[in-house]
Amino acid sequence: MSKDIHLQDVMKALGEVRFPGTDRDIVTMGLVRDLEVGYERASFALAFQASSPAHAEIAARAKQAVEALGVPNVEIRILEPAASATPRPGSRLIPGVKSTVAVASGKGGVGKSTVAANLAVALHLQGAKVGLMDTDVYGPSVPVLMGGDAQPKVVEGKIEPPVANGIKLISMAYFLPKDEAVIWRGPMLHKTMQQFLGDVRWGELDYLVMDLPPGTGDIQLSLSQTIPLTGAVIVSTPQDLALGVASKAIAMFQKLNVPILGLVENMSYYLCPQCGHREEIFGYGGAREAAKKLGFAFLGEIPLDVNIRVKSDGGQPVALDGSTPYGKAFHEVARAVVEQVSAAKGQEISIE
Amino acid sequence: MPPVPTKIKLAGENDALTVQWSDGHVSAYPYRYLRDHCPCATCAEAKPEQRANPAALPMFGSKPLKPDRAELVGRYALQIFWNDGHSTGIYSFEYLRGLCPCAQCKAQEMAQ
Repeated sequence: MSKDIHLQDVMKALGEVRFPGTDRDIVTMGLVRDLEVGYERASFALAFQASSPAHAEIAARAKQAVEALGVPNVEIRILEPAASATPRPGSRLIPGVKSTVAVASGKGGVGKSTVAANLAVALHLQGAKVGLMDTDVYGPSVPVLMGGDAQPKVVEGKIEPPVANGIKLISMAYFLPKDEAVIWRGPMLHKTMQQFLGDVRWGELDYLVMDLPPGTGDIQLSLSQTIPLTGAVIVSTPQDLALGVASKAIAMFQKLNVPILGLVENMSYYLCPQCGHREEIFGYGGAREAAKKLGFAFLGEIPLDVNIRVKSDGGQPVALDGSTPYGKAFHEVARAVVEQVSAAKGQEISIE
Repeated sequence: MPPVPTKIKLAGENDALTVQWSDGHVSAYPYRYLRDHCPCATCAEAKPEQRANPAALPMFGSKPLKPDRAELVGRYALQIFWNDGHSTGIYSFEYLRGLCPCAQCKAQEMAQ
């Protein structure tokens, strides 16, 4: 066998190495940097953009893959977040925000806001600094879900977001008299999104969770085109109809190159509080199946439980208590999201 | 999924902007070539002779063309701020990839 190593062969071998928990390989995800080959040797860097215990394993597998080509000397440098952190280009609107996660669905009423609020709470309880942006200008619901009666203040021409349960919030509801409706056309929505991003003092955040309105309209477009979203979480109920519409939301994000972090199945099943019988009202497992078919991660299932409704309406997100079955479900989703964000970070585009 | 850039280098070699793509391909776009293929409405409407002769307006012809900076537009395009003051061109990644002037890409284009 020739000892001249070819770049393409090495790239191809590395393209077979999958990132754990996803269907993507490390080349497609853009983790491989600075590949160089020479006589009997190859060297490259793996640029991980968030810490994860899986990194050593990925490096070992990458090394094996290249060695299998008959390359005796394989040198891998691992760039951890601190070393590979570049300023996020294009996000000068929110320079202190590390990751932006959009919570979206094709259809209304599947529980996006509930998932977004509880995801934010669970991420916060797991030690992250979190903001929650209610981008549903027409039907803002985040202030009710998150509770607290703090209001935004204007300080030196910037909006200081109120904090509830440790999470910075912004919502159109704060700027409207109760029972007043927003009746706007697209350009106004675009302007509002830019203000929510640029004029709110988000400060340093690990995650900015965005609760999107249903569908594939102005707000979704504005957001995906204004900032480089880290990824989108798609919420669906298990039945075919909602899943069919969810795939439209997925198609939109894919068109805009926004990574899909995965699917969450809400209203997955109903546990009767009287007898413990499990009733699968909308069918069960549809989102898991769809995720598998489409090649996305399945982030978890949330039961249909009257406590979620009662506590949400009372401004006490159920994720505040991780010991209940439904609270635990949200914490599991949050952990899966963290993992997927870590994977998606590798796909960020650097400009220098 | 179509290839997307992983790394964009504004000041590449030989007065070119270089893009590393997720499929491993590397494109090098000479500044003048890229500027001439600006997709904005004003440039697309410009007459070919104007485009071919960048020094037609002498006040812009004096200093060598280069991008001052560039920003991502969402995750689907690149906006380049040229040192001649022009910045309205939004180069979608798909368009950018199609512009790749390397022999391999040009050959593929011819074949289609």
